[in-house]
Amino acid sequence: MNDLRLPPRAGEVLERSSPVTFTWDGRSYTGLTGDTIVSALLANGVQVFSRSFKYSRPRGVLTASFLDPGCTVQVGDEPNVRAGHRQLTPGIDVRPQNVWPSLRFDPRVANQAVGRFLTAGFYYKTFMRPQRLWPAYQHVLAQFASGGRTSPSAEHGDYDKRYAHAEVVVAGAGPAGMAAALAAARAGVRVMLVEEEHALGGHLRWGGATELERLAELRAAVRGEPGIEVLVNSVVTGRYDDNWLAILQRGLPHVVERLIKARAATLVVAAGLIERPYVFSGNDLPGVMLATAARRLINLYAVRPGTRAVVLTANTEGDLAAADLLGAGVDLVRVVDARRGEGITRATGRGRLRAVELFDGSRVDADLLVTSTGWTAPTSLLNMAGVAPVWDDTSARFRPPEDLPDTVFATGGIVGDGSLDELLAHGKAVGTAAAARARGGRPAPVTALPARPHPALFRSPTHGFVDFSEDVTSKDIFAAAQEGYDSSELVKRFTTATMGPSQGKLETVNTVAVLAEATGRDVGQLGTTVWRPPYAPISLGALAGVSFEATRRSSIHAWHQAHGAVPLVAGQWIRPDSYGDAVAEARNVRCNVGIIDVTPLGKLDLRGPDVPKLLNLVYVNKWSKLAVGSVRYGVMCAEDGVVFDDGVTGRLEQDRYLMSTTSSGAAAVWEWLENWLQTEHPEWQVHVTPVTTAYTSINVAGPRSRELLSRLVDGVNLEPDAFPYMHVRTGRIAGVDECLLWRIGFTGELSYEIHVPASYGLHVWESLLEVGDDLGVAAFGVEAQRILRLEKGHLIVGQDTDGLTKAASAGLEWLIKLDKDDFVGKAELTWASELPARAPQLVALLPTDPNIVPAEASQIVREAERIGGRITSSRRSPELGRAICLGQVDPDLATSGTVVTVQLPDGRRVEATVMTELAFVDPPGERLRA
Amino acid sequence: MRNLAPDGSLLEGAKRLSRSVNTLGKTLDQPRTGRRVLPARYSAFDLVRRGLTSSPWPRTWHDHDLESSYDVVIIGAGVHGLATAYYLAANHGITRIAVLDKAYIGGGGSGRNTAIIRSNYLTPEGVAFYDRSVKLYEDLAIDLNFNVMFEQRGHLTLAHNDSSLRTMRWRAEVNKLQGVDSEVIGPAEIRQLVPYMDVSTGARYPILGALYHPPGGTVRHDAVNWAYARAADALGAQIHQNTEVLDVEVRGDRVTGVVTNRGNVSAPVVVNCTAGWASLVSAMAGVALPITTHPLQAAVTEPVKVFLETVVVSGTLHVYVSQTDRGELVFGASVDPYPSYSTRGSLEFTEELAGHVLELMPSIAKLRLLRQWAGLCDMTPDYSPIMGVTPVAGFLVDVGWGTYGYKAGPVSGESMAELVATGKTPELIASFDLARFAEGRLVGEKGAAAVGH
Amino acid sequence: MLILDCPHCGPRNSSEFRHAGTSRERPDATSVTAEKWRDYLYTQQNAAGWVRENWYHAMGCRRYIAIERDTVTNRTRPSDARGATPRGTDATVGTSADSNQETAT
Repeated sequence: MNDLRLPPRAGEVLERSSPVTFTWDGRSYTGLTGDTIVSALLANGVQVFSRSFKYSRPRGVLTASFLDPGCTVQVGDEPNVRAGHRQLTPGIDVRPQNVWPSLRFDPRVANQAVGRFLTAGFYYKTFMRPQRLWPAYQHVLAQFASGGRTSPSAEHGDYDKRYAHAEVVVAGAGPAGMAAALAAARAGVRVMLVEEEHALGGHLRWGGATELERLAELRAAVRGEPGIEVLVNSVVTGRYDDNWLAILQRGLPHVVERLIKARAATLVVAAGLIERPYVFSGNDLPGVMLATAARRLINLYAVRPGTRAVVLTANTEGDLAAADLLGAGVDLVRVVDARRGEGITRATGRGRLRAVELFDGSRVDADLLVTSTGWTAPTSLLNMAGVAPVWDDTSARFRPPEDLPDTVFATGGIVGDGSLDELLAHGKAVGTAAAARARGGRPAPVTALPARPHPALFRSPTHGFVDFSEDVTSKDIFAAAQEGYDSSELVKRFTTATMGPSQGKLETVNTVAVLAEATGRDVGQLGTTVWRPPYAPISLGALAGVSFEATRRSSIHAWHQAHGAVPLVAGQWIRPDSYGDAVAEARNVRCNVGIIDVTPLGKLDLRGPDVPKLLNLVYVNKWSKLAVGSVRYGVMCAEDGVVFDDGVTGRLEQDRYLMSTTSSGAAAVWEWLENWLQTEHPEWQVHVTPVTTAYTSINVAGPRSRELLSRLVDGVNLEPDAFPYMHVRTGRIAGVDECLLWRIGFTGELSYEIHVPASYGLHVWESLLEVGDDLGVAAFGVEAQRILRLEKGHLIVGQDTDGLTKAASAGLEWLIKLDKDDFVGKAELTWASELPARAPQLVALLPTDPNIVPAEASQIVREAERIGGRITSSRRSPELGRAICLGQVDPDLATSGTVVTVQLPDGRRVEATVMTELAFVDPPGERLRA
Repeated sequence: MRNLAPDGSLLEGAKRLSRSVNTLGKTLDQPRTGRRVLPARYSAFDLVRRGLTSSPWPRTWHDHDLESSYDVVIIGAGVHGLATAYYLAANHGITRIAVLDKAYIGGGGSGRNTAIIRSNYLTPEGVAFYDRSVKLYEDLAIDLNFNVMFEQRGHLTLAHNDSSLRTMRWRAEVNKLQGVDSEVIGPAEIRQLVPYMDVSTGARYPILGALYHPPGGTVRHDAVNWAYARAADALGAQIHQNTEVLDVEVRGDRVTGVVTNRGNVSAPVVVNCTAGWASLVSAMAGVALPITTHPLQAAVTEPVKVFLETVVVSGTLHVYVSQTDRGELVFGASVDPYPSYSTRGSLEFTEELAGHVLELMPSIAKLRLLRQWAGLCDMTPDYSPIMGVTPVAGFLVDVGWGTYGYKAGPVSGESMAELVATGKTPELIASFDLARFAEGRLVGEKGAAAVGH
Repeated sequence: MLILDCPHCGPRNSSEFRHAGTSRERPDATSVTAEKWRDYLYTQQNAAGWVRENWYHAMGCRRYIAIERDTVTNRTRPSDARGATPRGTDATVGTSADSNQETAT
């Protein structure tokens, strides 16, 4: 250790016996357990931690806290670490950011020389010509981007989330916050006390013997109160509607950060005060710092911040800083008391502070200038609760109005000033009220904590930095105002003041005050900009937490995997796209028999006497006469007549139906039915139960499907006369009772869709394969099904239709029964039927060249290079040995025999002929009905 | 929505105006360039000159007393209102214009969007319209002598499943036929453009391909607002900030002016260029709109050295991201799931956003979110704007911009200005008329995309 | 995150619900004029202030409930018709065309 580390201090947070070794900028240093990165480096004589964003000026300590604008560093693969807050851990690799090529030498320092030309917003006024060079300029500008580095191989790290259910959350554990938490807990409510620093106590921590004694008492009281959960190194970072709180917890073992989500009945904001920098020439020189910074460094970290000091003070904090400096053996050469009209003009030095010029013209050599010129109330959480802070001339700061929302309270420095006893009393009163409110009471308002008068000090007669991290000076603000950017919002946007990492916590008031000076208005008139969440930055990892993305698999999934299924992500479902050769699978269905897992197909069990009314309402066709044992295809439209789902519904018993929907539409259709039942027809007796995953669904398709099933089915006569096309039966399959069999055919072949209680799905699947071996049975995947359905001309909602396709344009005119009383979409479909068609029509298209399959989405080009439609589905048909398509075409092109031009993605053009029917294979449907 | 006036019957006021404009145009001979004198030229040379001589820059725009009448009142000093004012003055010589805003220049959606520009839409009318906008953006810096930093860094729309890949192809094919540069590319090419992207096939949302649109990119939105404000001001239009329209005055079926917090203003033409308050302002004129207002949230991270060149969009994951020259990642999502006029933002938004961004780029987990905010979006049933005449003669709308208004700022201003000046609805915006809803001819952008931004 | 007071389940996070539109009367589809019908389909009140709207408690009791909400402040209160069947849910939302909507920018 060297002489920069002071002898032990009463309030220090260091473990003297526990050194920690780390690297900074490639060199090894040693600090102590309890040190922040900054305090450890300062104790080692390091004073410059970064170079500034625009002018490349060396920057040292300003606040010695989380907010310190010059102390943002890279730690390993983690960028933008706040070195004034982050504690040392053994072996960390700390590097400066924004210092290419090194902290000591930086060619961008030349920017300082040309600084007079780089006024705020200068980039809006240049780099315009020649236009083609802008990307080059942009690359140069981008080199100036501040901040650390990421890497595509950076570790993701582990993150965590937690829900908390505290009744009262206290944000800030200074004396008032601690008193509030104690009072609330003693009133019997569950309290969470959240402190951003590493320990409880707020400003008491860097106080004198009395403060430390009182702090010890308070800490003991908090420890002794089981109703208080204490979180340190944590911050209430967002307050959302109805007191939904985001609390960021740092420094936990094994996780990078944790996001706690808490619904607090009441929130007590006790965020204290942030010391405000003073604006003067040279205010960013290393060696210039705030009084709170000096006091923290001396009292918490036992670091001597300088050797010859000047103190500019306008309040008690400055006076105490002067006393602390003396106590730390610093040569206190001058105390400049702003309350007596004294002041400083500028600070000078090259790369670090050398001298301070005073109002009286004298020049004092010093390597440390400590300023204490005012406070900013961090009202962010109150802002997020809809509270607008009000400028108070007396105390020269924005303060929250007395009237807060009834679930939000504030105490401590953020509302006013007082002796320690007054702060504790106010905190106690607020905590008691917050507890009462949390339990539904209507507590009387707490007497306000008054704010003490404070001189309004923002800027010396010289210009200096207003926003350190953005390199914005008061001169820039003056210039912006003169150019017309003269409101708080415009000046912020134009100069980028307050846009940096501390989001205005240090800068907003000075920005507004300088703007007020520049425009001859007062601060209150201009008002402050709105503070947005988060209060403290939070990692994407913590926000994301552990991913709980739902994935759905059928009961046959493991079999698919074991048999080489190519997975297809279909919404939440993972399905077999094919088992390697989709064309062979499709051929096998046409020749023999295939089975496909169609479990994701939506299934709704409908019961009650009024089901036919519901079906008549939501489908475009008629349902009143559906006999028990019959199945019908239906299409659903929205009220604007646009198709949104299709499927078949069968009547299983007198009052029991099973409805199937598309896989992707299953959830929406269920809700859709509930909507109509609950809001328009609550008198109907219908109960809807989703049974999609209660069943495993298998489609058995192909000319030999009947024979295959007959080997496994009991109690159902499968003969064509007994179980014709579009009928449903209930029976036993492979020994499994309560199976449903639908005779329908998406593939165009004789086929049966069987729905088996899900736990027996795999058993039935394997049984089918086993007993059908001699019939050539084989599994087929989604791709083979797509080929087959296209050959049959069966449309897919959402692929062959789109967000504007009405039922009549989708080749479904035959289905729509406009003579029905009322159904969803009827009005629009009726009017559409009365007008000549103007919407694109769905047609089958046969490419002239049988060997060219136009890619789906290929456009149909008509005269004058206009678009006349598009290919919606296309495949090579194994059955026909040629290309086939479905497409949407302009109505005048939809006539059978029309030859259209299709532009392929590679630019070639081919022709295709519009067919009479959508089906290419078996248009009359003889196979289906076999 | 009743008795919507067809385009031809646009207010007589505007017709008179357009006649006078035509006359004016003949007198001036070159109305397009006649008065385009900016107060001070912006250039590197001038930066140096003023730096050396310490001479300040003149005001970018000026304050005026509110006069009692104008030829055109434009409500809303966002990019749409300011561009309309500028093109009225620059292209048509109409300069007795007041642009009224209840707050400040560019304070609404124009200052809250994520500044992404593209023209790779789905419908031919959409593509033609936004392509014109991109063209105007390309020349804007020079036209307005203000660097708006339009960076054509390329725009990627990822496809995570078959159906979105099909939609990307659809858009690419329509774009190509309209002469817009778009193509579908595969995972390897995506990885080349964005090395941070996880294109592994095992991902929960595998990246199957993307629509790549090289002319797409970002612009500095504030700069665009200020550039139009400066140019419109220089041509004589008056921009009145902190001037709130409290009522729109209608006599018979004709608009006659507006009532503001600074007094009454009469005008034969009032253009509603607001977003977020479009239906409330239109209701003042008795015009009901098919709009619901939803917050759209956005967020930025702390800056890091630039690593992401292109704009990346994932429709399935409801996220879009780009990196500014300052190094911040800018994120947006789709609109909030219920209508609201609150811009306070939600925690769920940031949680979902972060989760989805990390699905795409897992290695940036330690990057921190710095700020979130929200803007208000006026959503229409077909995800297309409402532009043109209303049943109230002289009351025009340029509203319903959902999440895509910024992309269309220049072309909307140009088109609305042409409508006001000529009394005829330009072909480019004909399909966006208000009457389409009553007549059941919705625009097809809903067919496959277009929410979110 | 709003809290919505479900008459069947009690106060719950709004993430359990789906917004189902402001309440409005569905015209008789068999006799309505096109103009009135499209007015119903598309025109919105879009009020800034208190509205009566329906929410579907998708992850709870799966009932449609009526809630009053101030669209400016997002404060909520139970509807006068608390517990009663909400009528006239917005039939233009919630279709698969919407739920499958992708985000673009």
